[in-house]
Formats: sequence, structure tokens, C-alpha cells
Amino acid sequence: MKTVGALIKRNVKIFFKDKGTFFTSLATPIILLVLYVTFLYNVYEDSFTASLPEGVAFDPELLDGLVGGLLLSSLLAVSTVTVSFCANLCMVADKVSGARADFTVAPIKPHTLALGYYIATAINGLIVSAVATLLGFAYLAFTGWYLSILDVLALFSDIFLMVLFGTALSSLVCYPLTTQGQVSAVGTVVSAGYGFICGAYMPISQFSTGLKNTLMFLPGTYGTSLLRNHALRGVYAEMSKQGFPAEAVDAIKSTADCDLEFFGHSVEIWQMYLVLVGAIVLLVGGYILLHTLRRKGKNVKKV
Amino acid sequence: MEKVIEIKNLYKSYGEIKAVQDISFQVKKGELFAFLGLNGAGKSTTISIICGQLKKDGGSVSIGGKDPDEYPEATKRALGVVFQSSVLDKPLSVYDNLKTRAALYGIMGEAFEKRLQELAKILDFEALLRRPVGKLSGGQRRRIDIARALLHKPEILILDEPTTGLDPQTRKQVWSVIENLRKKEGMTVFLTTHYMEEAAEADYVVILDNGKIAAEGTPLQLKNAYTGDFITLYGVTEAEVQTLGAAYEKTADGYKISVPDTHAATALILQHPSVFKDYEIVKGKMDDVFLAVTGKALKGGNE
Repeated sequence: MKTVGALIKRNVKIFFKDKGTFFTSLATPIILLVLYVTFLYNVYEDSFTASLPEGVAFDPELLDGLVGGLLLSSLLAVSTVTVSFCANLCMVADKVSGARADFTVAPIKPHTLALGYYIATAINGLIVSAVATLLGFAYLAFTGWYLSILDVLALFSDIFLMVLFGTALSSLVCYPLTTQGQVSAVGTVVSAGYGFICGAYMPISQFSTGLKNTLMFLPGTYGTSLLRNHALRGVYAEMSKQGFPAEAVDAIKSTADCDLEFFGHSVEIWQMYLVLVGAIVLLVGGYILLHTLRRKGKNVKKV
Repeated sequence: MEKVIEIKNLYKSYGEIKAVQDISFQVKKGELFAFLGLNGAGKSTTISIICGQLKKDGGSVSIGGKDPDEYPEATKRALGVVFQSSVLDKPLSVYDNLKTRAALYGIMGEAFEKRLQELAKILDFEALLRRPVGKLSGGQRRRIDIARALLHKPEILILDEPTTGLDPQTRKQVWSVIENLRKKEGMTVFLTTHYMEEAAEADYVVILDNGKIAAEGTPLQLKNAYTGDFITLYGVTEAEVQTLGAAYEKTADGYKISVPDTHAATALILQHPSVFKDYEIVKGKMDDVFLAVTGKALKGGNE
């Protein structure tokens, strides 16, 4: 375990020493936040206002809190995964620089190396995501804050799981890559596509039934829903307190993907956690297995 | 003398390309073993197999009597590798780099500090410990590469073109360090190089050409087998040289006469004592050996 510790320390240090990688990672959520506020704020605002029954109107601060919570959860759902892809560059950079060969001429086990990369990427992803979350909180405090301490803690636990999930996914996807160009290409595809398939850019409730059912097989969907539930719980409570009809609150919950249905069955919060944790375990297991099988084949880069 | 590396009938192909074809050789304890060949001759492939980085297609490899496939940990501990180009982490300090690499061998805490002090003294890099590797000169970086390879006190030091790209003074410095290590620690050195003067200092030389061993022996054996001797005559006229009846060429200060071997040189001198007033006899160089064996000139010696 001490060797894993040394590798984690090294990988984290390299990430923060390379200011380019660190700031690019941090820029991703900041750019997303700016884009959301600039382009999607009004869309969401209009959509929620239109969904209310006639005669019911939003308090402007509450509406801001609702849209803000939705934007924050969308931003975190995307950035926890895309930042992990960015933070995982170290694994591929080591192949390019030859550092990987330097590690494997030493008597270390394949899983030690794999864990060293995985945990370091998760730490880097968590640090960047935590900074992004604090920025998002600052935005919510400015527009409309309805989060309790428990909501904040729940959001951080969601972020923790989502970073672990994003790291595992990026580790598996980036594992066969051998050049920085390939990583950039994958990063671009993930940045562009992931937000749609996890329901961050556009709620899954807006998609056709076939597509909705397909997306329910992807673990990221449940991560987005967890973030939505915890970012908006306070807003829903306030809506009920202000006398909004229960049907109106439920309709908004469904529209915002807080209530997910898997082929007609309502998915509970604990089930969402279960899917996410299961996906992390499976992906990490697959990643370690790849390392082990690859070393047995030994068809790695020549010294 | 004890054999520390034994290769028998080694084969390795990459698709249609036969990188190594039925090569066999031994490296004895404490010797400086030189592996010569052009790029693509099979040197790096052989080294990668020895280091356990690449799977062989056929044949056997033994490091200290053990098969690297069966005993990867023991054989990896026996080897220290200096790669063709530095593979240390450029953003990190010398200290951090060596600390991480030492951890790969389980060397931590006081044991690491003690070994670091020893190596810093031997390789004279105490003043460089806090500097980032990326900011070191080529020679300084090479010394740190060697220190990295020696962290775990290996029995065999593999140097893959260690002085390529270094200026003559730094090359000399690096070699004096390697020579010191051999003398003080009785270390076996396995060297690949493009510099013929370095190969000329080896105890045993193997020349690879197109994946096969083209010639092998001590430098003297190779010179005797593949090149003749040269007599350089001074203070004579061309007419006098022509009376010798041997092939010659004019040099700046005299004439260079080619003879098959030292015995023929002695005979020639005894036959024409009046011509040989001021002269010197030298054996052919390793460049001549390489050219005679492979029909190709090894580039890099004077680059």
C-alpha cells in the first residue's frame, strides 16, 4: 500500500505542477456555468413557468432558486465526469514520456500501478469538482439559496460518487490510448456528448420513450438525478410551503428528472446510489483486470 | 566466471517483421558487455525481453539463473535500467523523482534517505536534489537517470545508449562514473551504444544485424578477425614507401600502410629496417570491425 501511496502522491503532484492541465480542468466547469447562465437560464425559466397551472405563479426568488439548482446539478453532472477525463491525462502522458516503462521495469504489481492512477485521478477530480461546487454555491447564494446542511452534504456525497464513476469510466476508456492526440479526441467527444446522454443538457423526461428507456441503462443518468434531487429538494419544500399544489410540484420534479422511471417502475434514491456504486465497482474491476491481463501479455512499449 | 545473463535461441517478431532471430549469448558477472547494431537491429527488443517488458516468441532468457517470466520480481530486482532518453518526471524535483522510484522497490523512509546520500555522493548531485529534472543539463539529467537505476543496488546495470546526444566532456564524465561503479561495486554493465570508442572498452561485444548476431568476441578478437593492422610511417618519401609493396595512403604527416595483422607488420619491418625509422603500429578500430561485419557504417560516433 505504501507503493500505491507514493504513486498517488507523484501523480497528484504532476497534475498540480502542470498548470496547463489543472487550469484546463478547472476552466471546464467555469465555462459550463457561464454558458448555462447565458444560454439556458431563460429556457428553463420559461419552461417551468409554463408548466404551472393557471393562476399559480412563482415567487421570482424561488424561480431563480429552482433554475439555479437545475443549472448547478447539470453543471456538476457533466463536470465531475469531464474533469476526470482531463485529470486522467497523466496515465497516457506516462506512456508517451516512457515513465510507464520505468515503472514496469520495477517489481510492482499491475494493480498497484492501476490503483495509483485511479486514486490520484479521483483526488484531482474531487479537488477541481469541489472548487466548481463552491463556485456554484456562490452563484446560488446570489440568485436563490434553498439548500440545508444535509442537502449540501448529500450533494458532496453525490459529487464524490460521480467523480469515482467518472474516473473509473475515463480510466477504462483512456487505458488503450497511447498519444495525447487520442486523449484530446476522446476528451472532445466526451465533453460534447456526455451532457446529453446523462440528461444534464436536456432533461431525459423531454426525450422519446425509446431513447428514455435506453438512457436508463446508463449509470450517469442516475448520478444526474441524485444531484438534481439534492440540489432541488429545498426548492420543492419551499414550493409546498408556499402553497403550490402537490401535482404542480410533482410535475416539476418529473420534468427535472428528479423522479426517474425504469420501464414504468419508479426508481428510489437508494436504488440510484446502488446503480452508481455498482457501476463504479464494475468499471474499476474491469480497469484493474485490463492492467493485469496486459502485463501478462507484456506487449507493452519497447524499452 | 559466473553467467548473470544467458540468452538461448531467442526469437521475437512483430507481425511479418522478424526483430530477433535465434540469438544466443551470455553476459558474465562483472563484465562490460557491449551490444552493437544499427537502429532496428533488434537491440531494444532484446533488452525489452530481458527487462520483462516484452513477451518472447521463442527461446529462453535467464537472469541470475532465473527466468523473468517465472520470477519477474527477482529478475526485475537484479536489473537497473538507464533508458535511451530520460524518463524521469520533468516537472518534479530530483528528490521527488528518486523518492517515487525508490518506493517501487519498497525503499522508503530512512532506507531511502541513506541510499540517496550514497548515490548523491558517488554521482555528485547533492546540489541538484531540489531542482526540477526538466531544468537540468543533459549531463546532470543522465547522472540522475543512473542514480534512479542504481537505487535498489542492482547486480546488472543496463545502459541503452547512455551517452547519445551528450557533449564529449559530459560523455567522459558519465563514463568515469560507470567505470567507478564497476570497479567499486563489481557491477555488470550491459551497454548498447553508437560510440565505437565506448564499445572498444568492453570486455565482450556482440554485433547485431537484422535481428541476428553478425559477430561476437572481445574487441581484440573482433579486430584480429575482421580488420588488419595499420603502420603509420613518418619521415620517408613516397618512393621509399612504394618499395614496401603494400597498400598505402598518404596522411597529413606521413603514410598509412595496411597489413593483414601484427605478424605481417613485424615481417615487413624486419625486411625493410632502413625505411622504418619513425613509425607506429595500430590495430583496426571497432568502426572498421562494424563496417566489415555488417557492411554498414555505424552513425553517431562523431555526431
